[in-house]
Amino acid sequence: VIASFEIPAADLAALAPEILLAAAGTAILLLEAFAPGLRRTLCGLAVAATVAAAWLVAGLAPATAFHGLVEATPLTGAFSQAILAVTGLALLASDGWLRRERLLAGEYPALVLWCACGLLLLVRSVELLSIFLALELLSVGLYGLAGFHRRLAVSAEAAIKYFLMGAFVSSFVLFGIALLYGETGSTRIDAVAAALSAGTRSPGLAVFGLLLLAAGFAFKLGLVPFHAWTPDVYQGAPSPFVAFLSVAPKIGSAVVLVRILDLAVQGPLGARWADLAAILAVASMLVGNLFALVQRDLKRMLAYSGVAHMGYLLIPLSAPGPDAWRPVLVYLVAYALMNAGAFAVVSILYARAGEQHAISNLSGWGSRFPLLAACLTVFMVSLAGVPPTAGFLGKYFVFLHAIEHGRLALALVGIAASLVGVAYYLRVVYVLYMKPEASAPEGVRADAAGTAAVLLAAAATLVLGLFPSRLLGWVVAALPGG
Amino acid sequence: MGGFGSLLADASITCFVFFPTLAALPLMLMGRASARTVKVYGLVVALLEVALIAHWTLESWDAAGMVARDPALPWIELPGLTIAYEVGVDGISLPLVLLTGLLLPIVLLGSWRGIERHWAGFVGSMLVLTTGVLGALVALDLFLFYVFWEVMLIPMYFIIGIWGGERRVRAAVKFFLFTMGGSLFMLLAILWLGWSHAGLTGAWSFRYEDLLRVDLPAGQQLWLFAAFAAAFGVKVPMFPVHTWLPDAHVEAPTGGSVVLAGILLKLGTYGFLRFALPLFPHGAQALAPVLVFLALVGIVYGALVAWVQPDLKKLVAYSSIAHLGFVMLGILAADLVAWQGALLQMVNHGLSTGALFLLVGMLYDRRHTKKFEDFGGLAKVVPWYSLALVFSALASVGLPALNGFVGEFLILLGTWDAGLRLAAGVAAFGVVLAAVYLLHMLQATLWGPLTREENRGLRDLDAREIATLAPLCLLMLWIGVAPRGFLEPSRPALESVLSDYRARIERPAPERPTLLDGGGAERRAFAMASAERER
Repeated sequence: VIASFEIPAADLAALAPEILLAAAGTAILLLEAFAPGLRRTLCGLAVAATVAAAWLVAGLAPATAFHGLVEATPLTGAFSQAILAVTGLALLASDGWLRRERLLAGEYPALVLWCACGLLLLVRSVELLSIFLALELLSVGLYGLAGFHRRLAVSAEAAIKYFLMGAFVSSFVLFGIALLYGETGSTRIDAVAAALSAGTRSPGLAVFGLLLLAAGFAFKLGLVPFHAWTPDVYQGAPSPFVAFLSVAPKIGSAVVLVRILDLAVQGPLGARWADLAAILAVASMLVGNLFALVQRDLKRMLAYSGVAHMGYLLIPLSAPGPDAWRPVLVYLVAYALMNAGAFAVVSILYARAGEQHAISNLSGWGSRFPLLAACLTVFMVSLAGVPPTAGFLGKYFVFLHAIEHGRLALALVGIAASLVGVAYYLRVVYVLYMKPEASAPEGVRADAAGTAAVLLAAAATLVLGLFPSRLLGWVVAALPGG
Repeated sequence: MGGFGSLLADASITCFVFFPTLAALPLMLMGRASARTVKVYGLVVALLEVALIAHWTLESWDAAGMVARDPALPWIELPGLTIAYEVGVDGISLPLVLLTGLLLPIVLLGSWRGIERHWAGFVGSMLVLTTGVLGALVALDLFLFYVFWEVMLIPMYFIIGIWGGERRVRAAVKFFLFTMGGSLFMLLAILWLGWSHAGLTGAWSFRYEDLLRVDLPAGQQLWLFAAFAAAFGVKVPMFPVHTWLPDAHVEAPTGGSVVLAGILLKLGTYGFLRFALPLFPHGAQALAPVLVFLALVGIVYGALVAWVQPDLKKLVAYSSIAHLGFVMLGILAADLVAWQGALLQMVNHGLSTGALFLLVGMLYDRRHTKKFEDFGGLAKVVPWYSLALVFSALASVGLPALNGFVGEFLILLGTWDAGLRLAAGVAAFGVVLAAVYLLHMLQATLWGPLTREENRGLRDLDAREIATLAPLCLLMLWIGVAPRGFLEPSRPALESVLSDYRARIERPAPERPTLLDGGGAERRAFAMASAERER
């Protein structure tokens, strides 16, 4: 019996960033409805809300709230900041695109903010049902955004595909949670872990539940064999939104996947879960890179490259433990910057609505758009993992962790895979600088906000590669026991 | 970054390593400037860079040949994992640093006419490339070395891919993939080494001097040496991973070929001498027979293939494979004389092959062809050009009183002394082959009757071209006549590396990883030198 419905102020304060984001999203919608004259400022407002949320996240004291449903630790703080950074970049990149496509409306920034809100909750939840709710809050927003270009059939197609598969997967997650609850009598991760390590009545059910949960988040990450949606959805969805979709949900999902694996190794099968992660990693690296190699469409190529990157990210999870957080966090931050940056460039350079994103369209544009082309080169070089960029730093920590834990074979596969990666990333650079111009750009106009997003991402990619101490200091401060 | 800034302001190693890249930044705003402005700017920067290196060498170079270094700076700091920015120059890296500096203005001068578009990009690529090369040469931390090593790839990819010949893109990608493929194995090996250090001491380290103390079991040394050899062997390039080189050379613009042959290839042999052998002596010893065999194959195969090339540039490209085979042979002989010869031969090859590529480029600028069939009897039309070509070719052949002779002779002598007599014999045969193909080249281009009417009006060398070639030719002669002055500065460093290497070979490899005591001669010398240089 609930006697009173009062929420302690401390709990509310712990959710301040999420509350701010949700409220800002609502406010933007209201402004859209009642003050349409302000429409042009809404993306800017959303960016401001993101910055404010980041400030609030920085001020959060380590604690758990709502009777242990959500936690705030330096680690979740670091992941939250990464998510908010990407959100800000994606919003900056979106403004020009929305104007160009005549889609400027409050729904877009509002949905992005709500997605970010869901992601922050996802990162901070330590209870399975909260995780599920956060996932749904995120997913519903993503479905809407994927179909945001309502005049384009490809956009609607992307949204429907994503929605159908996503809904299916959500039911997986929910069923997995139910099974685990039936087996262990709790939905709190620590309690489930304790029950699993103590041994349960029918271990098979627990394993099945864990598998379903892991499959759900492997889907969000786009790991093989749950990757099939990524190229289609990336291709059809609005490019600046893909800057968000290809990165932010992966940060959140990776955090949950780490938590699930940490949980799983407590239970039946034990360390075999780590081998499962290794298999998924190998499959993702190989499939992602090989398929990316044959793509002619830049967005599809980046989608498959994202699959491969999630494979690299999974390498540390083949040896779960507290020290797996370091490579995961560094890799995600690096991936977030370079991938979001790449899509920000794509959303500026491919200006005709509904056009295919053929890589060859960029032929010879290196001298026409020197700044954007240079930034795209930085992103490609970083994605390829060549120093001195953030991408190299990420790979470095991943391989370091693999060697520390005797996963040399995985590191070797990773190396072979990244060599394949170099080939297709270089093709973009080659097309930009070494081919004669094939078609003059039509309607391409680099808007200030979009250019700023690209420049910020490129600068951060380089700075993190050259002077990583700042980032690493922050990471160390965030790591458990760091 | 206060420390870094003050190092830059100081006339230090850091200063001459990063100056080219800093000087490349204004080029980004010079997209609309005329080609002439950019050329002159690039040349001024290159000459300043030469002055910086020369100034540093005169001021701070340690005459004992031991390492002279900048104060170390913290770069990446994590509990249990510290990577410092640590650079220094010793007798092994100094000749290559000087060569790199010398070639930079020559390359720009030599490209004056050959490069027709995007001069700002070309000069920028060259300058960034120079930073990568110098950084890799002076890095005293393997992580730092790896970063510089990879930084070289991108500008070179652009140089081949943008300003190259018809099939330039294929060549550029091949270059990138081969090199990157090899170096990724090295990255894993570096990580493994750092991890072993952590296992022994509790602290991660990639410092060269720390890692020299890690003594690994023979099996691990074998694999790690193989991984390093994969990276360096591709760069050298050794048979059978040489196939990227002819493509890259043939398609690269003249300046690119000169840098590639003159400097980049040397980093492979430098890597063997600096890292692969000293770090894994037992691995090196175990794999030496294989590598010696491959080096000999390279010498003979490179020479034979060079002989049948229909095109001047391809001939010079294949001759590089043969010459670098000599250098590898000298390094693998693990003998002081052979090492001195190998180090000198690295410089020699940079000078003579650099000159040959420049000369081929000058011919190409005039006639837009490099095929032998289009030339013949040029000696009568362009006497000065012919003189330079004969001179450089003879230096490359190893004619006594020119530089190539000294290097090759020392390598053969040292190899013989080290007991590799059969190898020395085969290599000596390679010298004969070199004479065959280079004389064939001279014969086909310069001598005999003038075969083509359109060659009758060929211009001889102009002042710029003479200025480009003269320093190279002078050095070839100087080294050939008075090699001692070029050999002595490197001797102490080579001696100490060699004595450490031999000392470790004589002991059997340990059963499990162990930490050597700090008693190695090189380590002592490093420590002394650094104590002296605390500023």
